[in-house]
Amino acid sequence: MNRILPLSILALAILALATLMLVVVPGMQINAQPATPGLQPYTAIQLRGRQTYVSMGCVYCHSQQPRSTDQGPDGERGWGRPAIASDYAYDSPHLLGTMRTGPDLSNIGARLPNQAWHLAHLYQPRSVSAWSIMPAYSFLFEVKERAAPGDVVVRIPNGRGPKHGVLVAKPEAIDLVAYLQSLDRTMVAPAHAERDDGYAKSER
Amino acid sequence: MTDLRPSDDEFEPYEEDRGIPLPVSWIAIALALWGIVMLYHNNRSVMIGRSERSEAAKPQSRDVGAGGAGIFLARCATCHQPNGSGVAGAVPPLASSPFLKAKPEVVVQILLHGIDGPIRVGDDVFDGHMPSFASVLSDDDLAQVANHVRKGWGASQTISAAFVAGQRARFPDRGAWNGGSEIAATLDPTLPPQPAPRPDAGTGIDPAVAGLVQHGSGDAWACASCHGSQGQGRANVPRLAGLPAAYISAQLAAFASGSRRDDTMTVVARALSQNQRETVGNYYAGLRTPSTARPSLDGDLERGEILALQGDWKHGVPACFSCHGPSGFGVAPGFPALAAQHPAYTADQLAAWRGKVHRASPNDVMNMVANSLSDSDRRAVADFLATLPPVPAAHRQEPVHGRSVAR
Repeated sequence: MNRILPLSILALAILALATLMLVVVPGMQINAQPATPGLQPYTAIQLRGRQTYVSMGCVYCHSQQPRSTDQGPDGERGWGRPAIASDYAYDSPHLLGTMRTGPDLSNIGARLPNQAWHLAHLYQPRSVSAWSIMPAYSFLFEVKERAAPGDVVVRIPNGRGPKHGVLVAKPEAIDLVAYLQSLDRTMVAPAHAERDDGYAKSER
Repeated sequence: MTDLRPSDDEFEPYEEDRGIPLPVSWIAIALALWGIVMLYHNNRSVMIGRSERSEAAKPQSRDVGAGGAGIFLARCATCHQPNGSGVAGAVPPLASSPFLKAKPEVVVQILLHGIDGPIRVGDDVFDGHMPSFASVLSDDDLAQVANHVRKGWGASQTISAAFVAGQRARFPDRGAWNGGSEIAATLDPTLPPQPAPRPDAGTGIDPAVAGLVQHGSGDAWACASCHGSQGQGRANVPRLAGLPAAYISAQLAAFASGSRRDDTMTVVARALSQNQRETVGNYYAGLRTPSTARPSLDGDLERGEILALQGDWKHGVPACFSCHGPSGFGVAPGFPALAAQHPAYTADQLAAWRGKVHRASPNDVMNMVANSLSDSDRRAVADFLATLPPVPAAHRQEPVHGRSVAR
C-alpha cells in the first residue's frame, strides 16, 4: 500500500474533526448550562426507581421530551412546556426516548401525583384505561394473606385485582412510582436556555 | 522501446492520476454552500427564538399606556359596564356608589383583595363576588384605574402609586373582604349601614366529605391527590375551587355515564354515590383558592383577549364571556368559571370538544365553538384565561402547594 502515513493521518484528522464538532463542542455547550432553576436532584429512592424504569424498558415506549408548539400539540395534551437542555442536568444518562407508544412522561409527576393511581396502573393498566396497550407489571406486586405493618396495600379498581388476599407493592414498584412522581419539569424555563429553535420564524 | 515496468512480482497496482470530474466538484461546492446556508438559518432561528422569549419574559405591558380608562374597559367594564351602571341584582353600580366617595383606601383595598360577601350599594344588597387584582395589576395600574373610577363617579382626590404600595403592604396576608360590613368596620366607619357578613364557608364542612376529598374511599382515589389540597389543579388537571356545585356533580354524573370521557375520572365517578357527588360539588364550590395558573402554551394573549371578550364572528366563534359570564367568572349552574383555569386543561378540553370525545355540552354548543377554533386560537384563549384573577377571590393569599406557582 502506498502512502500509508498520509492516509492514516488524514483518516485520524477526519475522525478528530468529527469528534470535535459532534462530541466536544456540543458537550461544552451543554455542560455550560446550569440545572433549570427549581429542578430538584433525585433522592436515593428516586434513583433506585430510575434504575427500575431503565431495566423495565419504559424508555422504549415513553419519551421524556415535550416538543415546542410549532412541532406538535404536546402543550395542549398537558405534557408540559418544551424541554430545554438544563431539564436533564441530573439525568445521566438521559432517558429522552424516541418512541411515543405511550404518553410523554417528562411531567408525569405534575399531572398525576397520585401514588395509588400509579400502583394500580402498573399492576394492571386495563383496570384504569380499558383500551390501554401497556404491559401489566404485576410481578412488581405480591398477593399476601394479610398485610404486614409497613406494607403498601394496593386497591385495583373495576374488580381487576386478585380474588383472594391483599395486593402489596414490592419495593421496586414503590421506588418506580417515587421516580415517576419526581418527574416534574414545569418550572419556568430561563429565556436564554439552550433549546431547539429550528422552526422559529420572525412574524411578530 | 523498452518496457520500463517492473516484473509482475514487484508490481504494485496504482491508479493513474485522474482529476476529480467537474460535476462532482460542483456538487461538493453546492453541498458546502447549502450547509453554510442551513447553519445561517439555524443560527437566525436561535437568535429569533431568544429575542422573542426575552421580549415575552418582560412584564406584560398590555394595559400600560392606555391609562385608567383603558384598564377599566379591559378589566372592569365587563361586569360594571362601561358607564358604571352595573347589572341590576348582580353587579353593583359604580355611579354614585358610596364606596367610591369614601376614603381613598376603600377602593384600593377592594381592588387589592376583592369582595366575597353581601354588600349594600344605594338601596340594593348584592351578593358580592369581586376578584382580587393584586396579582395581575401593578401599583401604578391600580392607582390609575382607582383614579379613573373615583374621578368619574366619586371623589376627585388623586391616588398615587406609592399610596397603593402602602395599602398593599397593609394587609399582606388577608383574602377577600367578607362583604360591605367588614370593609366599613375596618376601613371607613362612615359608610352607610351594611348587611351582616356571610358565615365563614370553611366552618361548615362535613368531616366525612373532607375525608373523601383528602383520602378517597373504596375505588375512588382522593380528589386532592390530583386536584391539589385546595382544589387548585395543575398542568391538565383542572382547578376545581369555586366552580358551581351543580356543574361539578353534573360532570361527575357525565363521567360515570360515559358521556364525558376520562379514564381516571370514570373510575372515580362510578365509585361515588349521587349524594357523594353533590357533597363533593358543594365542597369545591365553597373553596377560595388563589390562582396557580399561568400562560404556558405560547399563545397570543392579545388574540386570546379578543376571542374571550368579542369572539370572532367571521369564523362563527362567540365570545367566551357571553355565556361563561363577564371576565369568565362562570354562571351557575351550567357554565363553569374559565378565569384562572390551567391553560393545558382549557386547550385540551377544546380539542376534545372538537374531536367529539367530549359530548357533555347541551345542544353540542361547545362542539360547534371548538370546531371553529384553530390550534393557535385554542392556545391563545387558554393562555389568556389563565391570566385572569379567580372568582370568588381567595380567602387567604397564602401560597398554594406546587413548585410552579407563578407570580
